[in-house]
Amino acid sequence: MWRRLGRTGLVAVALAALLLAGCGGGSSSSSGNAGSSGGTGQQQSTGAGTASSQAGGTITIGINADPPNLDPAGSTALVDRYVQNSIFDKLYDVDANLKVVPVLAASLPEISADGKTYTIHLRQGIQFTDGTPFNADAVIYNLKRYMSPDSARHSELSFVSDVQKVDDYTVRIVLSKPFSPLLYTLTDRAGMMGSPAAIQKEGANFGQHPVGTGPFMFESRIKGDQIVLVRNPHYWQKGLPKADKVVWKVVTDDNVKVVNLKAGQLDIIDTVPAQSVGDLQSNSAFRVDIGPGLGFQGLYLNVQQPPFNNVYLRRAVDLAIDRAALVKVVFGQTADPGYGPFPAGTPAEAASGTPPAVDLAKVKQLLAQGGHPNGFTFTLKIATSPVNQQVAQVLKNMLAQAGITMNIQQEEFGTLLDDSTKHNFQASALGWSGRPDPDGNIYSWFYTGGSLNDSGYSNPKVDQLLDQARATSDMTQRVALYTQVMEIIHQDVPYVYLYFPKNVKAFTAQLKGFVNVPDGIIRTAQLGK
Amino acid sequence: MWTHFLRRLMLAIPVLFLVSVMVFSLIHLIPGDPGRTILGPEATPDAVRAFDHRLGLDRPLPEQYLRWLLRVLHGDLGNSLVDGTPVSLLIAQRLPATAELAVGALLLAMLLAIPAGILSATRQGGWGDAAGTFLSLAGLSLPQFWLGLLLILYFAVRLHWLPASGYVPFFQDPVQNLKTMLLPIVVTGLRETAVTMRMMRSSLLDVLDQDYVRTARAKGLPPGAVILRHATRNALIPVVTTSGLQLAGLLGGLVITETIFVIPGFGRLIVDSILNRDFVTLQGAVLVSAVLVIAVNFLVDLLYTVLDPRIQLARGARA
Repeated sequence: MWRRLGRTGLVAVALAALLLAGCGGGSSSSSGNAGSSGGTGQQQSTGAGTASSQAGGTITIGINADPPNLDPAGSTALVDRYVQNSIFDKLYDVDANLKVVPVLAASLPEISADGKTYTIHLRQGIQFTDGTPFNADAVIYNLKRYMSPDSARHSELSFVSDVQKVDDYTVRIVLSKPFSPLLYTLTDRAGMMGSPAAIQKEGANFGQHPVGTGPFMFESRIKGDQIVLVRNPHYWQKGLPKADKVVWKVVTDDNVKVVNLKAGQLDIIDTVPAQSVGDLQSNSAFRVDIGPGLGFQGLYLNVQQPPFNNVYLRRAVDLAIDRAALVKVVFGQTADPGYGPFPAGTPAEAASGTPPAVDLAKVKQLLAQGGHPNGFTFTLKIATSPVNQQVAQVLKNMLAQAGITMNIQQEEFGTLLDDSTKHNFQASALGWSGRPDPDGNIYSWFYTGGSLNDSGYSNPKVDQLLDQARATSDMTQRVALYTQVMEIIHQDVPYVYLYFPKNVKAFTAQLKGFVNVPDGIIRTAQLGK
Repeated sequence: MWTHFLRRLMLAIPVLFLVSVMVFSLIHLIPGDPGRTILGPEATPDAVRAFDHRLGLDRPLPEQYLRWLLRVLHGDLGNSLVDGTPVSLLIAQRLPATAELAVGALLLAMLLAIPAGILSATRQGGWGDAAGTFLSLAGLSLPQFWLGLLLILYFAVRLHWLPASGYVPFFQDPVQNLKTMLLPIVVTGLRETAVTMRMMRSSLLDVLDQDYVRTARAKGLPPGAVILRHATRNALIPVVTTSGLQLAGLLGGLVITETIFVIPGFGRLIVDSILNRDFVTLQGAVLVSAVLVIAVNFLVDLLYTVLDPRIQLARGARA
């Protein structure tokens, strides 16, 4: 779990950014195909399928934080999933188009008509890297471990009442009530299979010595610096992995990461600051791949406290923001304007809605209706990163034109999180890294008492619709329900949606086989040089 | 000598105790719960409570402190709240890089600053003095992240002479280690050079004004001998003091250099543990750095006796 507007390095300052842009521009050599070298996910993925080079070598990947916990049962950070995806195969995975594909499962599950039992057939002849066989017992062991109350996966599997063994290679998951997000849940950490023998042996230390069936095996780690994985020589997918070694290098500052990519210390980086995108695109030695993301960013408005216990003032703020201009100024190609929790390319994108045009006359009218015809003042709490500051400054100017005064208060990320959870704010800038299933992007925000409902919002109609969507397996019907929810949310505005960050990865031109999956996680099996 | 050593050691104990109480209290004043920060916003309140209970974080603060203190007295700094790694291991992994960086930077600073300070002081008012003062002011004013990135862009990205990052421990691969540490040492060292040079200059100017220097000159000693043998030696005492303080400061305060050059150092360990609300790691790390500060100060005291035999530690007297 990771919120995007979160902590960043201490050093990313505008001056450094200018410097990078300036120097980099000078050193770039070719510009002929500058525009197209940006590449698209599709372009790259077709190249990956051909398996042209059997290269080997070491791939060094720059990531923005030290993964706190590699044990899928305890992990809560997005960076954990980067590394875990190389060590652990999952029952299912999502492809570049967010389609669910079987991995350790032999096929998509057979779902009963009432939506309450999932029968999963498993692939045969696979072993964990410690020699333990992969079978139904192993799957049941892992799922039961994830279901236990002290696992971070507990809430994702809370509707699972039992996991049964049908035969050695068939497992049945029984739900207490229909829960359509389950399939996507099994494409993430709750679907990662660890070696039962290793888990029993290591106990609480499994995160320090993780063992799975994946393309790479854990070799060593220096906390705060790097994690080294080596090729699994007995990997069950023929011809994979392509590389001999994958090194995950922690580089907390975005500009430092770009410099290290340019200097050849890194082969691929997990995020690219907006101001470096153009520079890297115009340099033929590098590729920039910009794909859709799953997350959103915006502002919580505290509906339990003045001034935002007044719905007209919430609507006024929502309508005074020009999302297109915000994205253009701060993010360039690296984000899309957003007006809902579901980005383009995700199953429920139609439910989000299009950002409204700024209408200052209407804002004026709303302010008058709210009893503040001459505007009002509120404080926005933001985390301390340069991007957050830029966004907040742009918003401040936009709102000032509507007569609304916004004060900006910076807080260290942990403090902001604490204040937000305890409803100790007027407005708070926190977003979400996103989940492939729409439920994971909306339910906990607006459900009464939901774990991410920092606004303190409650609407019985919304609760009912959200529950109904969970129990519906047909995506078209779910999207219709989410559309109804979003119509209410756009009226009530407990959260102001601002933009959808995209997945921007940059890598050296020698790197082959990169596929930009919307969940942002770099799949390493196909990578080679 | 030994009584002095013991006395210093005895004095260190209450200092360490006070430091540990202060760190413990301060850290609990920061808003933010370790369970909430480590488990993430998605964790249920029950999970956060269970986490805090398992690690004893729901006990009264004095009890938590005493439990921690007891373990420390048994030589156990505890385990990281984030993933259970022993804190002593985390510190052992991170301290060498920072120590190398700090000591390297200070050596570089001494090497450059002492001759530069002497030149500047003896040619007071001349163009050399002006240039020295200007350069040291520049050294102090240049932001390290800016200078660091500039050097990386030039030496690593453009010339490919040095790597931009990729720290390896010295004993594993000395050549690679020196290659990766050269730029960080220069960036940190230049700043320390500026401080040390200004100290050297003003200290030497003070000494040159004193009677015994005049006497030495009147005796007919060559000017070089007066400055190097008589004046510089005494002028070094405040320089050594500030250098000791600088070294102590560097051991915990190299976060920016460590971030730019991707060095797994002690400063970043401290900052990361604050951001993660990893109280146990932070307490251990701060305690270790307090011990280091005390040790460095003790070494500085020893150095005084070498520089000025009139200072005798045995009697605790200081001229």
